[in-house]
Amino acid sequence: MIVPKRNPDVVWRLEKGLHEMAWDKARKEEEYEDLGVLTLMVKGGIHQLNLVGAEIWTRINGISSVKKISSEVGKLFGWEDGETEEAVLEFLKGIAEQGWVTLNERAGREPAPMFPGTRKP
Amino acid sequence: MITHLSSPVTVNWGITARCNFVCSHCFSRLDPSEELSPEEALRVVDVLAERSVMFLNYGTGEPLLRRDLFPLTEHAVSRGLKVTMNSNGSLLDAAAARRIREAGFHSVGISIDSAIPSTHDAFRRMPGSFEKAVRAARLLRAEGVPLTVSSVVCKVNHGDFPALVALAKELGAHTIDLHNFKCSGMGGLNKEALDLSPDEWRRFYEAAVPMRDREKGIAIAFDDPILSLLGAEAMGKLVAGSVCGKLSLYIKPNGEITPCGFIPVTIGHILRDDFGEVWHGSKVLEHLRTKAAAGKCSGCAKFSSCLGGCTARAFAVYGAYDAPDPHCWAGDGE
Repeated sequence: MIVPKRNPDVVWRLEKGLHEMAWDKARKEEEYEDLGVLTLMVKGGIHQLNLVGAEIWTRINGISSVKKISSEVGKLFGWEDGETEEAVLEFLKGIAEQGWVTLNERAGREPAPMFPGTRKP
Repeated sequence: MITHLSSPVTVNWGITARCNFVCSHCFSRLDPSEELSPEEALRVVDVLAERSVMFLNYGTGEPLLRRDLFPLTEHAVSRGLKVTMNSNGSLLDAAAARRIREAGFHSVGISIDSAIPSTHDAFRRMPGSFEKAVRAARLLRAEGVPLTVSSVVCKVNHGDFPALVALAKELGAHTIDLHNFKCSGMGGLNKEALDLSPDEWRRFYEAAVPMRDREKGIAIAFDDPILSLLGAEAMGKLVAGSVCGKLSLYIKPNGEITPCGFIPVTIGHILRDDFGEVWHGSKVLEHLRTKAAAGKCSGCAKFSSCLGGCTARAFAVYGAYDAPDPHCWAGDGE
């Protein structure tokens, strides 16, 4: 499985207000894709991610796999699992080329999904 | 393209107006501001942290003259701010370098304006200052503190910047900031002696930008919106024109907020006004974010990418935010 990890030199923040505004637009099915809601500073350059990029970025923790992140983001936006994973991976490969993340191949299985009523061990 | 962030990415803060140097280009030497008390300074940090400002840079004066520099920085770091500072290096001994590392500075910039010691010393008007700056840089690197070299490009050094870049690399700097000369404060009084002509700026950037693009061992950074004349950007593609009031703000030693250190127009006070209201509601900032083409900028194809160039220079020379940047070479007989 592929596990993305953020470059610790990337300084970032969610844009308060704009993040909420983008979600408000998304719920109303209005255009939100061009709204920058997460700002990153890396190597002296400044960049922004839109709502989808931000929801992916904030889930990168060096532990969660692409599959897990895709599943969570897909649920947020109501997307199909297969298509979401492909799109998320493409996004991650793009920002990996920029040096914002590394994509690490890890051995091991995806954890089994938790169902309602399942107790943590 | 960003039109409005929730708060500045960077706040440049003059934590003191005091300095042991009298540099001929200094923008703040003529500013008689009192500095905030240690308690007030801590409150400033809290205001900025609550607004999620990412970078806090101490500029203006010599930060190491401020006695509460390290506790203030420790507080800022604990609140999540990335703290940087610019220093002339003259007071930076081994003990100070260690305290800088312990306080958690993200990076420290040492001012070195030429690889030729006598040129640097004359520009800084302080004999022996080159040697001290180089020593400070080495001490910081010995402590593992990320280092930048900060240089002001002007008449005295624009021809020998490759040697300066080589020196910065040798010192272990990750970045050399080649700041453009600004005619504010003492810089305004010494403009004739120090500023380049528009054609000299063009030639400087035509040499420096390709060097930046091919240089692998060190980042060469510019902060000049006029770079868009060459199809290059100073800060990525996120904002057009000056970053002042779009990505950054300046806080004077007395707490007054201005769009940048080189635009001496007060738009609020960090402790007396609501910072968010200043950032979102200031008419001056609104003007800077929505500049109109004036003078030779009218009809210029580059205006949408440079927005008239450096607002501070235009304001200093012509007294108008919308005036063309006096460094701009576009339309000058091309």
